[in-house]
Amino acid sequence: MNRTRMIVLVGFMVLVVAGVGVALFASDLSGTGAQNVGSRPGNATAAPAEGCPATRSNPGGDNNYIPDAPPGEDLGDGFVIQGVVRQAGDCRPLPDVRIQVWLATRTGGESDNRTSVRTDAQGRYRVETAPTVAQFGEPNIHVGYDDDAYEAVFIRNVVDLDDTAATIDLNLRPR
Amino acid sequence: MRARAAALLLCAAVAGLVWLALTSSHLDAGPAALVVSAVAAAVATVLIAFQPLLAVLARSRPAAFRGHLALGLAALVLVLVHVAALWLLSPEDVLFAISPDGPTRARMAVLATVALVIVVVLGIVRRWSSYAPQATRILHAFFGSLTLLLGVGHAVLTDGALDGPGTAALLLLAALGVAGIAAAQTTHLGSSAPSSAPGEVDDPVG
Repeated sequence: MNRTRMIVLVGFMVLVVAGVGVALFASDLSGTGAQNVGSRPGNATAAPAEGCPATRSNPGGDNNYIPDAPPGEDLGDGFVIQGVVRQAGDCRPLPDVRIQVWLATRTGGESDNRTSVRTDAQGRYRVETAPTVAQFGEPNIHVGYDDDAYEAVFIRNVVDLDDTAATIDLNLRPR
Repeated sequence: MRARAAALLLCAAVAGLVWLALTSSHLDAGPAALVVSAVAAAVATVLIAFQPLLAVLARSRPAAFRGHLALGLAALVLVLVHVAALWLLSPEDVLFAISPDGPTRARMAVLATVALVIVVVLGIVRRWSSYAPQATRILHAFFGSLTLLLGVGHAVLTDGALDGPGTAALLLLAALGVAGIAAAQTTHLGSSAPSSAPGEVDDPVG
């Protein structure tokens, strides 16, 4: 192989490696917009952001969503998913709002493990489930709102395998 | 003798990694598609890691070259089986994973798969055409390295059937593959006379 060809070849390989590096560097470890929301008992809950900006759906948030999850479904125990639902803008807690939760656990996949709960007078919701398992490489928790009063929101966040709780707050914008 | 030892080592590595995957808690009561997906990925990883070693052996043994070709194609088929089984589990999650919004580990998998396809195509070009033999050999090894490193990176970043001891096994396989690629290139450089004559055909493997 002559010198010119070798230079072109090496340049091409350097470009490919650089392209791969950029592609990986530009990606989010858990997917765009996904946050690690896992915690252990006793961890402090974060205060709401000033002005309670509306929660936006993130990519993959509605993966495996099935409308109208049955209420009060027994998903097991050992892991708690909780949060506060507020109105975007004025931070007013929203009572009696239906929140849907679905995730993969030892008892089944995301399509099987789903339930809906209503928020209490302080806008709080709480779901107890069996501990999460990895779904496509990482434990995911999906929380969604899909009723009429507010704009729909579908969230996909992640936790670590040894977490025992997750906190996912929602700020809903009226339709 | 070396070829037989390599074959035994390959079989032991496949059996070991599959055993680690099948005994992991991740697959406890998991659906059949998840088990198929994990096993296909584990076997494909071993085959890809052993390919450079087979390429070295193939320089003196035609049977090893046939093994290199067959196992390379088998690795590609197994990767496709891995993806197809994941699709059966959740098409939405597959589409999200391979989208621009997918997680880093999924992007590594996509890039590794593209690199593997290029490796196979370059291998076929080298087999059936005499066009730019040295360049195709170097690119074949280069994209093979990318396939190995990105594939193992994907597996290490994935919470799944190859956590814990499986991760150590994956890193060992990556080290074996990288050492094999270096050995294949060194062997080639040490045994072939440099030439840039048009139409020159290298030996079929490297």
